[in-house]
Amino acid sequence: MDLEKAYDKIYRYAYFRVKNTAVAEDITQETFLRFFAKNGTFHEYDMKYLYTIARNLCIDEYRRVKPEELPEEGSEAEAAVDFPEDSIMVREALERLTDEDREILLLRYVNDEPVGTICKALGISRFTLYRKIKNAEEELKKNLKEDE
Amino acid sequence: MKLSVDRITKQYKNKIAVDRISFDLTEGVTGLLGANGAGKTTLMRMMSGILTPTSGEISADGIPVQAENYRALLGYLPQDFGYYPEFTAKEFLEYFAALKGIERKRAKEKTKELLELVGLSDVAGKKIKTYSGGMKQRVGIAQALLNDPKILILDEPTAGLDPKERVRFRSLIEELGKDSIVLLSTHIVSDIEHIADRIIMMKDGALVWQGRQSDVEGDLEEFYLKRYE
Amino acid sequence: MMDRELKNRLADSFHAPEPEKKESFIKNLRPREIGIPEMVLTQIPYIRLPIWLFSLLIVAVAIGGSILGMEDTEFQITILMPFTAAITVLETHRSKRSGMSELEMATRFSLRSVIFARLLILGIVSGIVLAIASPVIAASFGRSTVHTAIRILIPYLITMIISLIIERSPLGRTHGYASFAVAGLSLSVTAWAYNCAPLITAGYEEFVSVWGLPTVIILLALTITEQWRTVKTVEAFA
Repeated sequence: MDLEKAYDKIYRYAYFRVKNTAVAEDITQETFLRFFAKNGTFHEYDMKYLYTIARNLCIDEYRRVKPEELPEEGSEAEAAVDFPEDSIMVREALERLTDEDREILLLRYVNDEPVGTICKALGISRFTLYRKIKNAEEELKKNLKEDE
Repeated sequence: MKLSVDRITKQYKNKIAVDRISFDLTEGVTGLLGANGAGKTTLMRMMSGILTPTSGEISADGIPVQAENYRALLGYLPQDFGYYPEFTAKEFLEYFAALKGIERKRAKEKTKELLELVGLSDVAGKKIKTYSGGMKQRVGIAQALLNDPKILILDEPTAGLDPKERVRFRSLIEELGKDSIVLLSTHIVSDIEHIADRIIMMKDGALVWQGRQSDVEGDLEEFYLKRYE
Repeated sequence: MMDRELKNRLADSFHAPEPEKKESFIKNLRPREIGIPEMVLTQIPYIRLPIWLFSLLIVAVAIGGSILGMEDTEFQITILMPFTAAITVLETHRSKRSGMSELEMATRFSLRSVIFARLLILGIVSGIVLAIASPVIAASFGRSTVHTAIRILIPYLITMIISLIIERSPLGRTHGYASFAVAGLSLSVTAWAYNCAPLITAGYEEFVSVWGLPTVIILLALTITEQWRTVKTVEAFA
């Protein structure tokens, strides 16, 4: 896998945790720098390491600045994006999920990561992950139904 | 990634081993066919940076074959190789991981993973000298994969493998070809028949045919033999 | 399982604003640099056990002999040290002997740096052995440390230089253990002079006290030159 794809995935992951483009991009770059400080080459196999590094950086960021103190953003940056009508509904449904459920759905269905990678990144067993994926899906579907 | 071989020639005193060969490779499996002595090994050695061509250039996305950065991308399995007699398979792989610049902790993980992949986990702690030919060859293949190479050059990789091992090896190569450049030489057509996207045929140091396997009409073996008439 | 439509909608909802510095960042991203010291350290575990044991033996002989006041101690060290030189040279073509060189040439750190690292490690080990043995012997037998070190070094360096030259020659390629013959020769000459030719021994003493230091410096320079040549030719692939 090429670095650009990996960059996009890590950036997307970080963005939906910190909800700020500049911070997300800083975290992404720091993730890669830390990875390459220890490794010579990058391969798909390494995604789990990248997520682990990025995840810890996001947690540190969370501890350092409370999310509500981060500069309100989104309105401007996101206004530029033309969202399909029904995806707004999904967005709202997602907002009502827990952070962890959102994280799992993002990793599994948007970044298309294999289960093994996610387990390593989150430090949980396969069994636990399957259960969590199922829960997150059910929650999401329930939220969507309520909206309709 | 594009691996380009540009008018490569290797001349020994009174013999031209490789004669002005050019081709480009991208991700996917390429089979290099030719009889023994056709110059396949010489060509692959030059592509692995261990033999200097008399003339011509080899580079990957502009990185010349002589550069450390090229070798960082490379996995190479020579036709024949030895090992320090005291080495176990695990030690052998960890040794090469160190030479490939892989950090120790990761090297251990990767070694374990690869030993599993080539089915040698249960004998990982045994000395290589107690191995059969096929087992030794599998250690060699694992060695080539340590650094997740973007360029994988395998010289007669199926030599010494039994039929079952061959089948397993083929599916492994097919998988690796998905995001790496894989070049493998053989004189057994069936080794590459179903897995190579591209075929390069060599005879007496020269390139006699190159193209997609799908361009070959009819049986590959027959097509191959015809080139050598 | 999640249906395809919902999956697509999910992907749309997780749309993040485009990152801005992606391209320039990736372009400048370089794999980890590994310096010479780290490279050398990774090779230490691969120096063979007999070499460590032999070095320890020399140190033991030096210390033991000095404690017991055995007059022959310095002579013993002088004839043993050339064998460490022989082992060192042996190490430079261990790869070829074991059929590993082709593999080692295709790795990120090529065979050249492997051989360089091994020569450096063995050089340092010999240096340490000498740094322990010389003062111990000198103190026990009331001689000068520098003088003792020089007398031990001269045959060691000469053995190293000749072995390196032979090892690269066609003769050395067919006779893998030629360096031991050189060390053996050095042993014979030293032993003969020590036991049977007191005049030569006395002359050598005289020579060392006047010309010892410059000789060692010249021999050291020659050793490094020859080692460098070996490192350079080690990847010559026929």
